[in-house]
Amino acid sequence: MISAYFIHLLILIGIYIILAISLQLAVGYGGLLNLGHISYFGIGAYVYTILLFHGVNFWICFLLAGFSAAFFGWMSAIGIRKLKGDYLALVTLGFSFVTYAVLINWTELTRGPLGIAGIPRPVLFGFGTNENMVYLVFVFVIAAISYFFINKIVSSPFGKVVEAVRDDEISAKSLGKSTFKIKCINLATSAFFAGIAGCLYASYITFIDPSSFTFSNVIPIILIIIIGGLASLPGTILATFFIILLPEPLRFIGFSSSIVGPARQIVYALILLIVLYYKPRGFYGKLDLE
Amino acid sequence: MDIFVQLLINGLIAGAIYSLVACGFSLIYSTNKFIHFAHGGVIIVSSYIFYTLFSILHLEFYLSCILAILLAGLVGYLINQFIYKPFRKRKASNSILLIASFGVLIFLESMLLIIFGANVQTIDYIPNAQGLSVLGAIITPLQIVIIISSIILLIFFYFFMKKTRIGKAMRAVSDNPDVAEIVGISASKIYAWTFTIGSMVAGIAAILISLEQNIEPSMGSSLMIKGFTAAVIGGLGSVPGAIFGAFLLGFAENFGIWYLPSGYKDAIAFVLLFLFLLFRPNGILGLKYNNQK
Repeated sequence: MISAYFIHLLILIGIYIILAISLQLAVGYGGLLNLGHISYFGIGAYVYTILLFHGVNFWICFLLAGFSAAFFGWMSAIGIRKLKGDYLALVTLGFSFVTYAVLINWTELTRGPLGIAGIPRPVLFGFGTNENMVYLVFVFVIAAISYFFINKIVSSPFGKVVEAVRDDEISAKSLGKSTFKIKCINLATSAFFAGIAGCLYASYITFIDPSSFTFSNVIPIILIIIIGGLASLPGTILATFFIILLPEPLRFIGFSSSIVGPARQIVYALILLIVLYYKPRGFYGKLDLE
Repeated sequence: MDIFVQLLINGLIAGAIYSLVACGFSLIYSTNKFIHFAHGGVIIVSSYIFYTLFSILHLEFYLSCILAILLAGLVGYLINQFIYKPFRKRKASNSILLIASFGVLIFLESMLLIIFGANVQTIDYIPNAQGLSVLGAIITPLQIVIIISSIILLIFFYFFMKKTRIGKAMRAVSDNPDVAEIVGISASKIYAWTFTIGSMVAGIAAILISLEQNIEPSMGSSLMIKGFTAAVIGGLGSVPGAIFGAFLLGFAENFGIWYLPSGYKDAIAFVLLFLFLLFRPNGILGLKYNNQK
């Protein structure tokens, strides 16, 4: 029983690691304070689910979910090309509200607030993943691959240009770099991995509805990247464990389930304020949030 | 034609409420120069305070109104004193303050969820009277009260800013805090005052909202988006601009759902916000504001 519970937490941690390191790519390395990251997560989850129910092969669904999220990432980069700082943050937050409105109102496609239930777990190379243990291995393999790729990107020459755009856009421009294109690629890549995390989430929980992809769900992810420290991938992973596990004892204190949800949000809000005040660079952060 | 007039009236009502939200927010923004997103949280907390005073403790209606407005001011004052002031001392960037204000908003909403539960609450002060018919459209007496009282308040607020000492000091700080300090205006005191007064306006908005519709803890962020959008459309930091933007937004939403399902209301606000930030970031009446630091 206990071990089943830990496997559940580890799967969530795996999914959140993908989400957080992909957001780190945009916020930490790219300097784009993207509060709409959760909408790519949602788009990925919905595209995956809808395609799967139309009988498309798992791997094709999986990749298409990533690519459609990446497409929206690219589009949002076009939208925010003139903005910075807190304005950018609010407009990207707006994307998450628009996505939510579309998911909840386009009932023919998404079944609206009812959500889509009974999403089957994939069968991979002959292995069924109905067993949570098997699914955990799958999630961690995908998380490791994502980590590998994002690490590769940020340490590549391209990654250095991304950081240069964050630190001084005008200098980067004067060196002949197309900063707009770099932002597009950055956000699209970040969204791609968020979309993939969305697939993993949908097929793990086997149920999705628009309320899983709202503004309040973006707070833990933002918290993870701030606690982990901007532009630090190992810090992000450490922070993911910390943030997912920290509110868990609330379950055992004996609160009713209607209290546990808000209580967890309160814990997150307080940690957010404390960290921002006392340690705005988090565990391993290399720079301040501008 | 009937539908047109009805939508016009609905837009006017929505605009009246948004203008109160936007006006408080814009006042706070004009002096503090960061996005106080928790303003939505203050509104929803105040409407629950009003609900507690009036529907649970059964205080007299006008007494609970006044108490709710004063307590709203207190909430705003405390938020400034215990959250933003320490951050300001550390010279935190705008993004940090924005995220901190999300923290405050989430905190307030979750507290309300724990105390009052997720169910919607209603305040039945004015029973649902038969609507009056104006040019074929229906408007309830309460809605007329809302429109009239918000217009009176906005006029009052305008004179407060133009004529009183504090109002003038606020405008001085919003122009240039350093120069204001030189002539003997304490900027930190004015920050506290703007939070208090902005939140009191939020308290008034909260009362009108809770009379007009059901209240629930998650309303805060959605209202804040409306207020923020209105403020940006009008030009951030300009209070008359915010009022103008609020009515524009109210009309845009209500005419928008002529074509779209009503669930898209929030999305309409954001599309409008997005278009303005993209093509006219200084808003319609806004002064030059540097959004491209």
